[in-house]
Amino acid sequence: MIVVLLMAGIGGAGIYVMKLRSDNAILKANQHKLETAITEQNKVLEQQKEDFTAILESNKKLNVLINTFKKDLQDLDKRFTKKNRDIGKLAIDRTDAIERIINKGGVNAARCIELASGAEHTPEELKATLKSEINPECPALANPNYVQYQ
Amino acid sequence: MYNINKIFALAIIILLTGCSIGGEKKIKIFSVEEPRQKLDYPMPTALQLEELKWIIITSENAQEVFAKLEEAGIDPVLFGLTDKDYQVLARNFAQIRQKLQETNNLLEEYKKYYEPKEKE
Repeated sequence: MIVVLLMAGIGGAGIYVMKLRSDNAILKANQHKLETAITEQNKVLEQQKEDFTAILESNKKLNVLINTFKKDLQDLDKRFTKKNRDIGKLAIDRTDAIERIINKGGVNAARCIELASGAEHTPEELKATLKSEINPECPALANPNYVQYQ
Repeated sequence: MYNINKIFALAIIILLTGCSIGGEKKIKIFSVEEPRQKLDYPMPTALQLEELKWIIITSENAQEVFAKLEEAGIDPVLFGLTDKDYQVLARNFAQIRQKLQETNNLLEEYKKYYEPKEKE
Protein backbone atom coordinates (compact mmCIF):
# COMPACT_ATOMS: atom_id res chain seq x y z
CA MET A 1 0.00 0.00 0.00
CA ILE A 2 2.76 2.42 0.99
CA VAL A 3 4.70 1.52 -2.15
CA VAL A 4 1.69 2.24 -4.28
CA LEU A 5 1.14 5.56 -2.54
CA LEU A 6 4.81 6.42 -2.96
CA MET A 7 4.68 5.56 -6.63
CA ALA A 8 1.54 7.61 -7.08
CA GLY A 9 3.24 10.50 -5.23
CA ILE A 10 6.32 10.27 -7.43
CA GLY A 11 4.08 10.05 -10.49
CA GLY A 12 2.15 13.14 -9.38
CA ALA A 13 5.36 15.01 -8.72
CA GLY A 14 6.59 14.02 -12.16
CA ILE A 15 3.42 15.30 -13.75
CA TYR A 16 3.71 18.54 -11.80
CA VAL A 17 7.31 19.03 -12.89
CA MET A 18 6.35 18.36 -16.47
CA LYS A 19 3.55 20.90 -16.22
CA LEU A 20 6.00 23.41 -14.78
CA ARG A 21 8.39 22.77 -17.64
CA SER A 22 5.58 23.13 -20.14
CA ASP A 23 4.47 26.42 -18.52
CA ASN A 24 8.05 27.61 -18.54
CA ALA A 25 8.36 26.83 -22.23
CA ILE A 26 5.12 28.69 -22.96
CA LEU A 27 6.27 31.68 -20.93
CA LYS A 28 9.60 31.67 -22.71
CA ALA A 29 7.81 31.54 -26.06
CA ASN A 30 5.52 34.38 -24.97
CA GLN A 31 8.52 36.43 -23.86
CA HIS A 32 10.17 35.84 -27.21
CA LYS A 33 6.98 36.84 -29.03
CA LEU A 34 6.69 40.03 -27.00
CA GLU A 35 10.30 40.94 -27.69
CA THR A 36 9.79 40.28 -31.40
CA ALA A 37 6.61 42.36 -31.34
CA ILE A 38 8.48 45.26 -29.70
CA THR A 39 11.24 45.07 -32.31
CA GLU A 40 8.66 44.98 -35.08
CA GLN A 41 6.78 47.91 -33.59
CA ASN A 42 10.02 49.86 -33.39
CA LYS A 43 10.68 49.07 -37.02
CA VAL A 44 7.18 50.23 -37.95
CA LEU A 45 7.66 53.46 -36.01
CA GLU A 46 11.00 54.06 -37.70
CA GLN A 47 9.46 53.42 -41.11
CA GLN A 48 6.60 55.80 -40.30
CA LYS A 49 9.10 58.44 -39.33
CA GLU A 50 11.00 57.94 -42.60
CA ASP A 51 7.74 58.06 -44.59
CA PHE A 52 6.69 61.24 -42.86
CA THR A 53 10.02 62.90 -43.69
CA ALA A 54 9.74 61.73 -47.31
CA ILE A 55 6.20 63.14 -47.58
CA LEU A 56 7.28 66.48 -46.13
CA GLU A 57 10.22 66.68 -48.49
CA SER A 58 8.05 65.79 -51.46
CA ASN A 59 5.46 68.42 -50.53
CA LYS A 60 8.19 71.00 -50.15
CA LYS A 61 9.54 70.12 -53.60
CA LEU A 62 6.09 70.42 -55.18
CA ASN A 63 5.48 73.77 -53.50
CA VAL A 64 8.78 75.09 -54.85
CA LEU A 65 7.80 73.83 -58.30
CA ILE A 66 4.38 75.52 -58.17
CA ASN A 67 5.99 78.80 -57.07
CA THR A 68 8.40 78.51 -59.99
CA PHE A 69 5.43 78.06 -62.32
CA LYS A 70 3.82 81.24 -61.03
CA LYS A 71 7.05 83.14 -61.49
CA ASP A 72 7.54 81.80 -65.03
CA LEU A 73 4.04 82.97 -66.00
CA GLN A 74 4.66 86.38 -64.46
CA ASP A 75 7.95 86.64 -66.36
CA LEU A 76 6.17 85.71 -69.58
CA ASP A 77 3.57 88.45 -69.01
CA LYS A 78 6.33 90.89 -68.19
CA ARG A 79 8.09 90.17 -71.47
CA PHE A 80 4.96 91.17 -73.35
CA THR A 81 4.02 94.20 -71.27
CA LYS A 82 7.27 95.53 -69.75
CA LYS A 83 7.44 99.35 -69.82
CA ASN A 84 4.02 99.55 -71.52
CA ARG A 85 5.40 97.48 -74.35
CA ASP A 86 2.89 96.76 -77.12
CA ILE A 87 4.03 93.74 -79.07
CA GLY A 88 1.62 94.55 -81.91
CA LYS A 89 3.02 98.02 -82.47
CA LEU A 90 6.57 96.74 -82.15
CA ALA A 91 5.82 94.09 -84.78
CA ILE A 92 4.60 96.80 -87.18
CA ASP A 93 7.65 99.01 -86.59
CA ARG A 94 10.30 96.30 -86.49
CA THR A 95 8.71 93.36 -88.28
CA ASP A 96 11.86 91.36 -89.03
CA ALA A 97 13.37 91.76 -85.59
CA ILE A 98 10.16 90.74 -83.80
CA GLU A 99 9.73 87.80 -86.18
CA ARG A 100 13.22 86.61 -85.26
CA ILE A 101 12.49 87.06 -81.54
CA ILE A 102 9.18 85.25 -81.78
CA ASN A 103 10.68 82.34 -83.69
CA LYS A 104 13.49 82.05 -81.16
CA GLY A 105 10.92 82.19 -78.37
CA GLY A 106 8.94 79.43 -80.10
CA VAL A 107 12.02 77.20 -80.29
CA ASN A 108 12.77 77.87 -76.62
CA ALA A 109 9.17 77.18 -75.58
CA ALA A 110 9.17 73.92 -77.54
CA ARG A 111 12.39 72.91 -75.81
CA CYS A 112 10.73 73.66 -72.46
CA ILE A 113 7.89 71.28 -73.35
CA GLU A 114 10.40 68.58 -74.29
CA LEU A 115 12.21 69.02 -70.97
CA ALA A 116 8.93 69.02 -69.06
CA SER A 117 8.05 65.71 -70.69
CA GLY A 118 11.28 64.22 -69.36
CA ALA A 119 13.92 64.97 -72.01
CA GLU A 120 17.54 64.95 -70.86
CA HIS A 121 19.33 68.28 -70.50
CA THR A 122 22.07 69.06 -72.98
CA PRO A 123 25.53 69.86 -71.53
CA GLU A 124 25.05 73.49 -72.68
CA GLU A 125 21.81 73.77 -70.74
CA LEU A 126 23.43 72.37 -67.63
CA LYS A 127 26.46 74.63 -67.96
CA ALA A 128 24.48 77.82 -68.51
CA THR A 129 24.99 80.29 -65.69
CA LEU A 130 24.75 83.59 -67.56
CA LYS A 131 21.53 85.30 -68.61
CA SER A 132 22.68 85.24 -72.23
CA GLU A 133 23.07 81.45 -72.11
CA ILE A 134 19.77 80.46 -70.57
CA ASN A 135 16.40 79.52 -71.98
CA PRO A 136 14.34 82.51 -70.81
CA GLU A 137 11.05 80.67 -71.31
CA CYS A 138 11.72 78.28 -68.40
CA PRO A 139 15.10 78.96 -66.77
CA ALA A 140 14.38 76.93 -63.65
CA LEU A 141 13.56 73.88 -65.73
CA ALA A 142 16.08 74.26 -68.53
CA ASN A 143 19.05 75.65 -66.65
CA PRO A 144 19.24 74.22 -63.14
CA ASN A 145 22.60 75.87 -62.47
CA TYR A 146 21.45 79.37 -63.34
CA VAL A 147 20.91 81.61 -60.34
CA GLN A 148 18.87 84.67 -61.09
CA TYR A 149 19.97 87.93 -59.52
CA GLN A 150 17.19 89.70 -57.68
CA MET B 1 -5.24 -7.93 -2.26
CA TYR B 2 -7.99 -7.02 -4.73
CA ASN B 3 -7.91 -3.42 -3.52
CA ILE B 4 -4.14 -3.26 -3.83
CA ASN B 5 -4.39 -4.40 -7.43
CA LYS B 6 -7.00 -1.77 -8.17
CA ILE B 7 -4.88 0.99 -6.63
CA PHE B 8 -1.82 -0.31 -8.46
CA ALA B 9 -3.70 -0.32 -11.77
CA LEU B 10 -4.97 3.21 -11.11
CA ALA B 11 -1.45 4.39 -10.29
CA ILE B 12 -0.13 2.89 -13.50
CA ILE B 13 -2.92 4.59 -15.50
CA ILE B 14 -2.10 7.95 -13.87
CA LEU B 15 1.59 7.44 -14.58
CA LEU B 16 1.01 6.55 -18.18
CA THR B 17 -1.43 9.34 -18.92
CA GLY B 18 0.83 11.76 -17.04
CA CYS B 19 3.49 11.27 -19.71
CA SER B 20 1.13 12.43 -22.36
CA ILE B 21 0.37 15.78 -20.66
CA GLY B 22 2.13 18.56 -22.58
CA GLY B 23 3.36 16.08 -25.11
CA GLU B 24 1.08 17.28 -27.91
CA LYS B 25 2.84 19.17 -30.63
CA LYS B 26 1.49 22.65 -31.16
CA ILE B 27 0.78 23.76 -34.69
CA LYS B 28 2.61 26.96 -35.51
CA ILE B 29 1.17 29.20 -38.17
CA PHE B 30 3.54 31.67 -39.79
CA SER B 31 2.22 34.63 -41.69
CA VAL B 32 4.80 35.96 -44.09
CA GLU B 33 3.90 39.23 -45.77
CA GLU B 34 4.44 38.96 -49.48
CA PRO B 35 4.96 42.46 -50.90
CA ARG B 36 2.96 43.47 -53.97
CA GLN B 37 4.78 43.19 -57.24
CA LYS B 38 6.20 46.47 -58.44
CA LEU B 39 4.43 48.00 -61.40
CA ASP B 40 7.77 49.33 -62.59
CA TYR B 41 6.58 51.18 -65.66
CA PRO B 42 9.30 53.11 -67.45
CA MET B 43 8.87 56.86 -67.37
CA PRO B 44 7.04 58.21 -70.44
CA THR B 45 9.20 58.88 -73.45
CA ALA B 46 10.19 62.51 -73.78
CA LEU B 47 8.57 64.53 -76.53
CA GLN B 48 10.50 65.60 -79.59
CA LEU B 49 8.71 68.54 -81.10
CA GLU B 50 9.00 69.70 -84.67
CA GLU B 51 10.09 73.23 -85.38
CA LEU B 52 7.61 75.66 -86.81
CA LYS B 53 8.07 79.11 -88.26
CA TRP B 54 6.15 82.19 -87.31
CA ILE B 55 5.57 84.81 -89.98
CA ILE B 56 4.58 88.30 -88.98
CA ILE B 57 2.31 89.90 -91.49
CA THR B 58 1.34 93.54 -91.41
CA SER B 59 -0.68 95.66 -93.86
CA GLU B 60 2.64 96.88 -95.23
CA ASN B 61 4.48 93.62 -95.82
CA ALA B 62 1.48 91.44 -96.76
CA GLN B 63 2.10 91.51 -100.54
CA GLU B 64 5.77 90.76 -100.04
CA VAL B 65 5.07 87.86 -97.66
CA PHE B 66 2.56 86.22 -100.01
CA ALA B 67 4.88 86.68 -102.95
CA LYS B 68 7.68 84.99 -101.02
CA LEU B 69 5.39 82.09 -100.13
CA GLU B 70 4.43 81.62 -103.78
CA GLU B 71 8.09 81.79 -104.80
CA ALA B 72 8.89 79.04 -102.33
CA GLY B 73 6.05 76.91 -103.67
CA ILE B 74 4.00 77.27 -100.52
CA ASP B 75 0.27 77.92 -100.71
CA PRO B 76 -0.21 81.66 -100.23
CA VAL B 77 -2.38 81.31 -97.19
CA LEU B 78 -1.63 82.08 -93.54
CA PHE B 79 -3.50 81.18 -90.37
CA GLY B 80 -3.47 84.35 -88.33
CA LEU B 81 -3.51 85.52 -84.76
CA THR B 82 -3.73 89.04 -83.43
CA ASP B 83 -0.97 90.23 -81.13
CA LYS B 84 -3.27 89.73 -78.12
CA ASP B 85 -4.16 86.21 -79.19
CA TYR B 86 -0.50 85.44 -79.71
CA GLN B 87 0.08 86.37 -76.07
CA VAL B 88 -2.83 84.14 -75.04
CA LEU B 89 -1.37 81.27 -77.06
CA ALA B 90 2.04 81.76 -75.44
CA ARG B 91 0.43 81.76 -72.02
CA ASN B 92 -1.65 78.67 -72.79
CA PHE B 93 1.42 76.80 -73.96
CA ALA B 94 3.28 77.80 -70.82
CA GLN B 95 0.40 76.42 -68.76
CA ILE B 96 0.32 73.16 -70.71
CA ARG B 97 4.06 72.81 -70.22
CA GLN B 98 3.72 73.47 -66.50
CA LYS B 99 0.93 70.90 -66.17
CA LEU B 100 3.08 68.38 -68.01
CA GLN B 101 6.00 69.10 -65.71
CA GLU B 102 3.80 68.89 -62.62
CA THR B 103 2.28 65.56 -63.69
CA ASN B 104 5.69 64.11 -64.51
CA ASN B 105 7.02 65.32 -61.21
CA LEU B 106 4.10 63.77 -59.33
CA LEU B 107 4.66 60.49 -61.16
CA GLU B 108 8.34 60.53 -60.18
CA GLU B 109 7.49 61.30 -56.55
CA TYR B 110 4.90 58.49 -56.41
CA LYS B 111 7.39 56.10 -57.95
CA LYS B 112 10.08 57.14 -55.51
CA TYR B 113 7.71 56.78 -52.55
CA TYR B 114 5.97 53.53 -53.43
CA GLU B 115 8.67 51.83 -55.47
CA PRO B 116 11.93 52.88 -53.88
CA LYS B 117 15.10 51.46 -55.34
CA GLU B 118 16.51 48.66 -53.22
CA LYS B 119 19.22 49.85 -50.83
CA GLU B 120 22.55 48.49 -51.92
